[in-house]
Amino acid sequence: MTKYILKRCVSIIVTLFLVCTITFIMMKAVPGGPFTTEKNLPQNVLDALEAKYHLTDPLWKQYVDYVKGAATFDFGPSFKKDGVMVSDMLAQSFPVSAKLGLVALIIVILLGIPFGILAALKQNKLPDYLATIFATLGIAIPTFVLGTLILYVFGSRLGWIPTHGLDSWKCYIGPSISLAGFSLAYVLRLTRSSMLGVCGQDYIRTARAKGLPERTVIFKHALKNALIPVVTYIGPMTAGIMTGSFVTEKIFAIPGMGKFYVEAINNRDYTVIMGTTMFYAAIAAVMILAVDIAYACLDPRIKFQD
Amino acid sequence: MENTERQITQKDIERVHFTNKESQDITRPSLTYWQDVKRRFLKNKLAILGSVIIILMVLFALFGYLLTSQNYYRQDLTMTNLPPRLECYYLDDETLLYVNSEYSLYTLDNDGTVRERLEPAEENQMMREKTYEVNGQKVVLNYKGAAQAAKARKQGDMQLANSIDTFTLDIGGKTPEMQKVWNKTYRLGTDYLGRDMLARLVYGARISILVALIATFAQFCIGVLYGGVAGYLGGRVDNIMMRIVDIISTVPLTLYVVLLMVVMGPGIKTIIIALGSVYWVDMARQVRGQVLNIKQQEFVLAARTIGASAKRIMLRHLIPNSMSTIIVTLTMNIPSAIFTESFLSFIGLGISAPAASWGTLASDALGGLRSYPYQLLLPSLCICLTVLGFNFLGDGLRDALDPKLRK
Repeated sequence: MTKYILKRCVSIIVTLFLVCTITFIMMKAVPGGPFTTEKNLPQNVLDALEAKYHLTDPLWKQYVDYVKGAATFDFGPSFKKDGVMVSDMLAQSFPVSAKLGLVALIIVILLGIPFGILAALKQNKLPDYLATIFATLGIAIPTFVLGTLILYVFGSRLGWIPTHGLDSWKCYIGPSISLAGFSLAYVLRLTRSSMLGVCGQDYIRTARAKGLPERTVIFKHALKNALIPVVTYIGPMTAGIMTGSFVTEKIFAIPGMGKFYVEAINNRDYTVIMGTTMFYAAIAAVMILAVDIAYACLDPRIKFQD
Repeated sequence: MENTERQITQKDIERVHFTNKESQDITRPSLTYWQDVKRRFLKNKLAILGSVIIILMVLFALFGYLLTSQNYYRQDLTMTNLPPRLECYYLDDETLLYVNSEYSLYTLDNDGTVRERLEPAEENQMMREKTYEVNGQKVVLNYKGAAQAAKARKQGDMQLANSIDTFTLDIGGKTPEMQKVWNKTYRLGTDYLGRDMLARLVYGARISILVALIATFAQFCIGVLYGGVAGYLGGRVDNIMMRIVDIISTVPLTLYVVLLMVVMGPGIKTIIIALGSVYWVDMARQVRGQVLNIKQQEFVLAARTIGASAKRIMLRHLIPNSMSTIIVTLTMNIPSAIFTESFLSFIGLGISAPAASWGTLASDALGGLRSYPYQLLLPSLCICLTVLGFNFLGDGLRDALDPKLRK
């Protein structure tokens, strides 16, 4: 197992290094450089700007500096907002997004898994149909549609939840539900189908045959195995919740990372875009690593693989 | 063989009655794999529904323009934000009046054809009153209620805000009758620049179908080959190729697409390149797994013994035999590509004006959401329906192609 985890670690470091290189190349490939949009800059000002941002250094040195910076989460200054460091922006906005994402994650796990189990246990009965309809619809509705609908119906029509900001607990309801929506539906579906698959296995029949109480059969024998695919999905799900936060934070006007990211994209603020991308990639990679470790603990087959 | 034949005596042979024989005859015809798939697929109602939705969407994209006389880019600033269903007021037998949410008066034919926006003959800003001359009659529009409603909304009293009548119409001292008509000129209404929603939705449908085609093409051309080669060659090549895929898929695909879009600038060409360059990873994995499985089987060994080339084995044996996996992965990934495109357009990275995709339409609708929810609902409905259609189709295909995967 140690070997397995070590292997995953190496692959993640390689990934991050690669993303770092790609972002660097892309930043250099942008036609015209970062200052071309500013109109009529005199040549000497342009030179000064380029010198300030070390754009006059040889390319390899810029690259080394960039990688070094990225390794310490230092992505340089913002090109468009004067005197603001990208890392400061991240430090400021990440906790906001993380809190929201965590709430969404808790919603997904606390609702998705139990209802998925319920649907599987009551197969072809009312709870199952309701859960299936919910899951089918949830997967077909994009985050931005769900978010705007919640905002419109509960925010502006009924006035139950605030339409912007994150000042009270009420503010979390709208954004976290719209953030969780897709993943919730997916987890529910996944839990249901995997639970159904496991319940058809022979060892469940054996467990029942030897007279174990139904609770033990479901929670100890079935659930533990049924959760494996669900745990695998939690890694990509974190990525989904992250990208979902771009639109959710835009819709609900929350000063989180997603909103900064979209703003930076619209302003073509390249250092912010690349820095935030790196940061997102790092989070995704770490989450996937964490899931892999959890996976290795949960599934004994992994231990014997290498 | 001959021995056993001799041991059969007359006693063992029984004459089969004609009716008995007939009953033996009525057996099911033996089905080939694909016939069986077709049968199972046609039995699945949801899958049929999904295919119908998709066919309708394609028809809508191809021939939707026949439903409207407008085009998707013509702006008419006097015709902004007209909903598909108009709450009109009766003026005379041929003319209806409509008041939009900015308190301008429109005249309509009584079948719902929008005629024009009227200019007030007189406007009293203090009293919030506009006076019009329509067909010789004096029409007074009073929009005092609007300010009260806005005030109530600011105080957070939504019930009060929604209950206040924002304007009153007065024709010759009487309040006219209200009458709801469908908008005939702009069947699904207009957007904030007075462009026809229906025409824009048709354009959006074309974009979505284009995206679906690109995703299909990328998965087929890159994903299937990549996965096939990795699986067939195996060993070190496979290891390296799959590590590359692992690395690519550690970072969410959306991030790559966003990066590519940022660098190349928004536009349809960029969407093609961005989606095409990342949407093959999942397919490559699936096909590799399938090929690894199939290449152990005897018929591949047989093909190899008679000297079939690697290319022939790949194209004639391995890939056709993993077709079920390929088709299922394909239909499952198309909705995700459509999602990604609308998401990119929504955050301002996709299709740029005047072209429209469902994502940009939804994004444009955000500003006026409170007053014109139809502008959000229409594109959202289109996205949801299409994605549902593909999901149903994908589920149905999976059940039909691989009965073992059922449950």
